[in-house]
Amino acid sequence: MSSKLFNTRMEEDIKIRSYYGKFIFNSHFLVFLMIAGGVLLYTLLGLRETLSPSIYIDTLCALLMAAVLQPKYRTLLKEADMLFLPPYEKRMTAYFKRADIYSLSLGLALPAVTSVAVLILLSIGHNLTSIVLFFLMAVLLYFSAFNIRRLSVNTDWKKWAVTAVLIIINFVSLMLVLIQPYLITLGLLFIIIFTVIMKKSSFKTLSWLNYVQYEKEALQQYYQTVSMFTNVKRIDKAFKRRRFLDILLWEPKAEKFNKKYMYEYLFYRSFMRDHDLPMIVLRIIILFFITMFWIGNLYVSLIFSLFGIYLIVLQMSQIYTAQAYLLWPKVWPVSRTYIQDSYIRYSHKVVFVITLLFAVMFTITHPDKLYYVLAFPVWGYILNRVLSKAIYKKERELSD
Amino acid sequence: MVLEINQLTGGYSKEPVIHDISFNIKSGEIIGLIGLNGAGKSTTIKHILGLLRPHSGNIKVMDTAIETDVEAYRRHMGYIPEAPILYEELTLREHINMTAMAYGLTPKEVESRKEPLLKRFRLEDKEDTFPSHFSKGMKQKVMLICAFIVEPDLYIIDEPFLGLDPLGIESLIELMISERDKNRSILMSTHILATAERYCDRYIIIDQGRKIADGTLNELRQQTGLSEGTLDDVYIQLTGGKRHEQ
Repeated sequence: MSSKLFNTRMEEDIKIRSYYGKFIFNSHFLVFLMIAGGVLLYTLLGLRETLSPSIYIDTLCALLMAAVLQPKYRTLLKEADMLFLPPYEKRMTAYFKRADIYSLSLGLALPAVTSVAVLILLSIGHNLTSIVLFFLMAVLLYFSAFNIRRLSVNTDWKKWAVTAVLIIINFVSLMLVLIQPYLITLGLLFIIIFTVIMKKSSFKTLSWLNYVQYEKEALQQYYQTVSMFTNVKRIDKAFKRRRFLDILLWEPKAEKFNKKYMYEYLFYRSFMRDHDLPMIVLRIIILFFITMFWIGNLYVSLIFSLFGIYLIVLQMSQIYTAQAYLLWPKVWPVSRTYIQDSYIRYSHKVVFVITLLFAVMFTITHPDKLYYVLAFPVWGYILNRVLSKAIYKKERELSD
Repeated sequence: MVLEINQLTGGYSKEPVIHDISFNIKSGEIIGLIGLNGAGKSTTIKHILGLLRPHSGNIKVMDTAIETDVEAYRRHMGYIPEAPILYEELTLREHINMTAMAYGLTPKEVESRKEPLLKRFRLEDKEDTFPSHFSKGMKQKVMLICAFIVEPDLYIIDEPFLGLDPLGIESLIELMISERDKNRSILMSTHILATAERYCDRYIIIDQGRKIADGTLNELRQQTGLSEGTLDDVYIQLTGGKRHEQ
């Protein structure tokens, strides 16, 4: 009975994932992934030829694996379950077993891809036994981390604290295997100790509130990841005031205190105070800059810059979508064309600033190819126009 | 006429929720739109706001139909929804500014109008706070301030007293009376009939999507034969009584 309930929810979840998967893995992104993957593989194989064994490579490998060995735990529980399911708590074993299997399968992709890169790096100076033991330990850590994560939901432990301890255990355990294979036992000891601590901290009965809250956050996290690539309707928008950014939020002067500028006034605030958006933009910029600097290849930097701008412009449009469908724009005596005009003014300015940042990054990486950066603002402008028009068209179709 | 509704039939889908509703509101009137849950009050309000398209019939605000000039039509109305709908990313001051910009108020007008409203609702020290952190009642007061700062010809208030504390209700009633005295009109849907009875000039009673009565309390008393009856008695007679007979 309870496994049937989970299966129904799992099918719904798979449907949502395949729906968004179609948008994320579109042809542009697949081409980008292939190029990025190829370049990465080429670079790693090149490094394998030139680098000599060192503790830094081992540390990097252990760190990378430690960071990605973070299995997801998805129970697919809903808020209403807090009311309806507690009487059936003792008959929920099958539900949670199905949830375990599903969750384990969800978190495999990233460790699998990272393993390939780590394998290439580990082949510098390590024998087969050492590499096999490293990956055996990684598999063991994945399952034990899952078990610990699962147990932690029913405790007072904070999610970030569990993640931090798991990363430390993963890193130390993997590092010890690389230093001395016999030290694998120490890693196992860490896992056992943390598992026992978790078991001892567990509540005697299920904390439905914890489980439902955890699932809600996991779902939001999934939507946030997806929202980096496409618009997500179901995401709960959260905002946060960053007082240090208030200086950038202009108060309209008398001549601009009117319906023509009111949405621009709103859009800047939505962007600056969005809980995630400014941080996502910052993360994309930093991550792409590190990759461009590390690889140092002209064409890769160019592709990464253009793709980074594309991702950010795509992100920006969620602000328009979030605002345009609210109640007030439909009630206020302001024509919808003012919303669109305001959006285009606001987004062109923000996109221009972002393309300048990419231009600076590109110039630092390739100072002799300065003139290439002239393409960035043009690319940002064209993308912004095309994507905005697509949103307006969708909006028109919906309103018809 | 501030509002004219003629033979309005409409709803959310092709299946109509309200049928053949007609009524008018003159300047300086407070009208109570009264009905059971699901009677069609909110649907009627959504049609007046232009959020739904009528299946048939027409609506005019200050002699303007929404099809003729959507901006002019909306400029005459201020709306206070049943549950506060706020921008989580805006402070109270910014909510006021957005509303003012939408309705074409100058910064000077905003400054002079907002002070008494903020004082009346005891929010004068909260201008730089995000209303999303307020209690439900305080959020509703933000909605009231945003609507009353505009000083429109017609206020549409859905369940005005919901979530307000007694002082908030008193402030709102004072404000409504003062607006009526300035010849502005108010259409409010409410379940709190005792308060409606004290302050409304006229009542429109809707049941199962149809208007079943329209008039002053005395006219409704005559219609139901309850010469000493309260609005509650009249309302029950008009809606509940009929259902009991069925």
